[in-house]
Amino acid sequence: MESLKAIINAACAPEIMFTAILLVFFFLFPPNDWFYKASKKLGLNKLWTKNGGIGIFVVMILFFAFGLSDDNFRLIVIKPDNVPIVGLLFLVVFFLWLSLKQAWENDKRIEEGKPPAEADDAKEKVLVWPDLVYIELIALVVISALLLVWAIGLGAPLEEPANPTVSPNPSKAPWYFLGLQEMLVYFDPWIAGVVFPTVIILGFMAIPFLDNNPKGCGYYSVKDRKMAVSIFLFFWLVLWIFLISTGTFLRGPNWNFFGPFEYWDPHKLVALTNLNLSELIYMIILKRPLPENIFLREAGGFIVMGIYFGLIPLILAKTFLKDVYQRLGPVRYSIFIVFLLLAISLPIKMYLRWGFNIKYIIAIPEFFFNI
Amino acid sequence: MSKQPESHYNLNSLHFIFAIASLILLFSLGSLFLKDYSRQWKDYQKQFKAYEVEKARTKYDEASHKLESSEEYQFLLKEIKAAQKDFDGKCTNFKNFENEIKTLTTANTLSEQKLKFTNATLDAARFRYEEAKAHDPKHSEKSRQEYEKLLSEATNLKAQVEQSAEAINEKNKTIESCGQQLKDLQRKLKTFTKQTSILERKLGKIDDTKKSLSSQMASLVRDLPVIDLANPSVKIEQIVLADITDDVNFKQVPKVDRCISCHLGISNPDYKNAAQPYRTHPNLELYLGKDSAHPIEEFGCTVCHGGRGRGTGFLSAVHTPSSEEQKKEWTKKYNWQEFHHWEEPMLAKQYVEAGCFKCHAGQETIKGAKKLNFGLALIERAGCYNCHTIDKYKDWPKSGPDLTKLSSKTSAEWIYRWIEDPKSFRHNTWMPAFFDQSNNNDPASHQRGEQEIHAITQFLLANTTEYKKDPIPLVGDVKKGEELVSSIGCFACHQVQPQKTDQARNAENLHREHGPNLIGLGSKTSKEWIYSWLKDPNRYHPQTRMPNLRLSDQEAADIAQYLSEDKAEKFDKKPIAPVNEKIIDDIALDFLKKIDPMQVAVKKLASMNLDQKLVFAGEKLVGHYGCYACHNIKGFESAKPIGAELTEEGSKSASKLDFGFIHIDHSKEAWFMQKLKNPRIFDQGKIKEANDKLIMPNFNFTEEEAEAITTAIVGFTKNKTVVNKIKPRTPENLYIEKGEKIIRQLNCQGCHIISGEGGAIAPSVKEWLKKYDNRDEAKATIMASNFSPPNLEGEGKKVQTQWLFEFLHEPVTIRPWLKVRMPTYSFNASHLNALIKYFNALDKEDFPFMDKANVSLTEEEYKAGQKLFSPDGLDCMKCHVVGNIVPKGDAEVLAPNLALAKNRLKPDWIIKWITNPQDVLPGTKMPTFFDPNDFDNAGPKDILGGDEHEQIRVLRNFLMSLADRPIVVVPEGEKTKEVAPAQPPAPATDKTPAVTSDAK
Repeated sequence: MESLKAIINAACAPEIMFTAILLVFFFLFPPNDWFYKASKKLGLNKLWTKNGGIGIFVVMILFFAFGLSDDNFRLIVIKPDNVPIVGLLFLVVFFLWLSLKQAWENDKRIEEGKPPAEADDAKEKVLVWPDLVYIELIALVVISALLLVWAIGLGAPLEEPANPTVSPNPSKAPWYFLGLQEMLVYFDPWIAGVVFPTVIILGFMAIPFLDNNPKGCGYYSVKDRKMAVSIFLFFWLVLWIFLISTGTFLRGPNWNFFGPFEYWDPHKLVALTNLNLSELIYMIILKRPLPENIFLREAGGFIVMGIYFGLIPLILAKTFLKDVYQRLGPVRYSIFIVFLLLAISLPIKMYLRWGFNIKYIIAIPEFFFNI
Repeated sequence: MSKQPESHYNLNSLHFIFAIASLILLFSLGSLFLKDYSRQWKDYQKQFKAYEVEKARTKYDEASHKLESSEEYQFLLKEIKAAQKDFDGKCTNFKNFENEIKTLTTANTLSEQKLKFTNATLDAARFRYEEAKAHDPKHSEKSRQEYEKLLSEATNLKAQVEQSAEAINEKNKTIESCGQQLKDLQRKLKTFTKQTSILERKLGKIDDTKKSLSSQMASLVRDLPVIDLANPSVKIEQIVLADITDDVNFKQVPKVDRCISCHLGISNPDYKNAAQPYRTHPNLELYLGKDSAHPIEEFGCTVCHGGRGRGTGFLSAVHTPSSEEQKKEWTKKYNWQEFHHWEEPMLAKQYVEAGCFKCHAGQETIKGAKKLNFGLALIERAGCYNCHTIDKYKDWPKSGPDLTKLSSKTSAEWIYRWIEDPKSFRHNTWMPAFFDQSNNNDPASHQRGEQEIHAITQFLLANTTEYKKDPIPLVGDVKKGEELVSSIGCFACHQVQPQKTDQARNAENLHREHGPNLIGLGSKTSKEWIYSWLKDPNRYHPQTRMPNLRLSDQEAADIAQYLSEDKAEKFDKKPIAPVNEKIIDDIALDFLKKIDPMQVAVKKLASMNLDQKLVFAGEKLVGHYGCYACHNIKGFESAKPIGAELTEEGSKSASKLDFGFIHIDHSKEAWFMQKLKNPRIFDQGKIKEANDKLIMPNFNFTEEEAEAITTAIVGFTKNKTVVNKIKPRTPENLYIEKGEKIIRQLNCQGCHIISGEGGAIAPSVKEWLKKYDNRDEAKATIMASNFSPPNLEGEGKKVQTQWLFEFLHEPVTIRPWLKVRMPTYSFNASHLNALIKYFNALDKEDFPFMDKANVSLTEEEYKAGQKLFSPDGLDCMKCHVVGNIVPKGDAEVLAPNLALAKNRLKPDWIIKWITNPQDVLPGTKMPTFFDPNDFDNAGPKDILGGDEHEQIRVLRNFLMSLADRPIVVVPEGEKTKEVAPAQPPAPATDKTPAVTSDAK
């Protein structure tokens, strides 16, 4: 049992878990035909059936049941602040399953030449009473009861009076910001705290203009919207939900990483030695001091950024994203690719940190400009 | 009409779901109320109410039983019965009277009303008449008539009312006189049953069985759900303290203590033996009581006890268990767990006195806080404040002796053996052990330690200045020396205690550990050094607290001889490890490395010879271990203390303390205890370089001592004293605080009793009486007080300011029979002023000037005074020394020199003293000549017409004249008259040991 816990603890290390998720992700949520076929071949689409759903929930419940037998796990999961996040995990998985089930069913129907299931819904008319209002009333009653029971069972997680000179350890943002806080590990605060939130909002605003695929309107489908679904779920599940749950359950004192069965030891020491790309280039590879001139010093970083945002979109437009480019045209494609690259920069940055201890690609602390 | 369209969902199943959901909601609402109603404090209040009823019932039963069984009461009842009978028999015909009165009263009321109306109309008519007269005099006639008519009507009515009132009065009087006896008796009965009727009324209010139906209904309704928001019978009780605040970081919010919601009997003396939470607070005279120093309405609870005043549950009030067992018990009983979110948990029972400190920090002894006093006394003695800055001890002198002239005092061998293990030389020394502790007793560290001691020794000896020891001019006598040590007062601060005793330290006997235990001095130093030290301690150590006892050369020689005779043989034989240059190199290099890069350090080391290495390493080690904090060491005059500041240590959160790998409770109290008992323990299991190890030395505190010190440290909080709750910061109170500090530093209470504490020397005086004065135990016990230094209670009232100043500056002999002598301290003006202000402020005396009393005497009065003074009168000289005449009687009854009275005593005080000495100083040996119970007949009838006040005044004036006028003395048993020297026996000509000769 203990060794199982140790294995899970080790597997939950961000670099391992993140890699594992990346490896599985595109088979679960195929972005193109090749993955779609592979997914079908591997039978992964079976997950999005009734039995698959039961299986997913059984596994999740078993994991939590097993975990709750452990003191350290229980301490974190039962904490009144964290209970809603546990609920969130189950809800997210449920709705993910529900939508994908309908999507895969529709795909099957369309393959068979039938209209999607939603086509039937559209024909039917329902009554305001009882079909709408009654249901709402029941929901109201059930939610009220749930809130009451919750309030009776778990007291409000009040803490000591806020003290500007004493910060709690770990200091955590509200749960919905934990994804952003997790980004702070890998990015300069102004990027993680200012640029990315802005880009996320702009990205949402841009979606209707970028997505000109007429298929899949009004019904769930994977096949018709492979790339859209895959990209969205990557942002939503990996870059948001995954980071929130990591921040909630796996980040302990001093923002150190702790496995789910690990004791949150405030004295745990982890070696954190990072260096900037310029230092890597000049001091380690070229074995010479950093140049005085800022631009010369950061030239490597600028080149990398130039390639990343200048060259790569061009190459992609000619290769992997050829059809996207053709469909969107140059302007939309540029906007799309910038957002995409920005989003992908997060996992890239994570790997750079884990693999090469890279702190910043461009580091100009003189102007508070670090990327 | 079209057919009703079918609904999408099955309506029946929706109904079913709705029903279930509603039931769940109902159930959860029910549990909401249930949870609210089952709150712990509500149960406690209900239970307490039952207790109250029970207590009131028992009290009522007891009271009524007592009443019933009292004969007086029974007799009274009988009397009333008889009176009633009498009344019924005699006064029955008054029944008709009463009816008449009723009729009359009704009529009277009617006429009164009529009068009122008429008066009102009259006022209006008067106004109209006045108006008419002023504006239209011609037509005023009508209104005049109207006014006059009403006026006469009102006058008539008034007479009528008065008449009928008089008639009623008459009739009433008749009735009253008849029932007078009965009424008086009934009034008497009321006073008799006062106690029981109060209890009965109380019971009627709280006892459900005795309540009226309407009040039962009312209490039922007020406790109904939702309605109970208004005024329920069970509610949170709280004390709101506007002037004591909780610091919530951004704001100071008034303290609200809800503790009394559960601790309902806390200030009620009836619950002394009740179970918690109802039990009465101990010592209501000092705490909580209305007349105590800390009334509950003004202080609340958490300001002293800590904890969360607003909490209404066992857990949320943040109770702290005092032991592991209690913790287990509470976990079981109350589901107790640590409450992380409150910075000031309640103080555990054993540390509860820590709460006193925040307000009483200025005092040296805090009444009722025995453990805290002990802790503070230990901190003073052990000198914690030398390394750890503590605000309270800011200007306190260094604890250890001066080391700047060390080479003249002792040898390298002794220093080595001493530092290695101080307790091996002196079992109760306050010098702590640095070496061979739990983090440096492995073989390698032990070896390094030996070399470190060598280095420190070398450095200390190399770093000293010349001190010329006086040659001893005489041969000392060991026996005489021993007697002197035990008689002249050394034992107020020192002991000669060769072996450990079983007696635990306490705040009282710590006075006798003020100076070192005087054993093994022969091994430590030379006869000459002791002689020089005794003759003038300040010459060796300018800041020493050792006073000058004005010893003659012979006395000093005797004592030096005696003390140097004692050698610590076992200690002298302790082996000394040879100097190991290799290890010395390591030690020196460790320090050099910190200053210079490694290569430079190695080069520097190579350029030093062994002596230089030793001295270099020694100096660095003295800095490293902080030796300079307690000792004066040349070169370290401005070095900062090395320990963590403790001024606010009690507010430190446990998370800031390093518990290492030691599994103890994660509380600061547990950490302090562990640290005090073994200062190096938190290094256990850690991998550290020699110079990174913990260095706090080991004082070998016992469990009780550690607990007392922990109490004090926990009390050192950042919480600010609430200014209007402490003694007002008047100059007098500040004088007292300042004086107390000096008294504490100089250990005045080693000899004297001052404000109820001290006199530690008394047991040793008794020992001396037994050993050298050949007294038996009983006699010695009686005599000890008269042979001990005087009790200084009321000294401010007693002695004149100028005299006190002179005396402190240069003591004179007042009690020539005493062996103990008041030493000469090297007081500066600030000390002297502080002490004199202290004694005056303590007794609320005016300072610096006093009332000028007329002490002149007429010749006649002088004669009367003489007579009172003589054996024919009060026979003062039976006990009192006068000038150089010492009474022949037993030394145990001797009393102070009266020739000093004029300059020494305050005239008012003498009056009070002669009138009733027991009043001034309870337990004094001075006889009470004027019996306070029969004062007017107490004095001799034949002197001054038997007027006691006059006698006392004249005697006082006579005493004040003793210094200037010749006195006629009739020593006891002799009939011949002897004339004392005519010149005033001023202090200097008195039989004072040569004060001026050897004092500096």
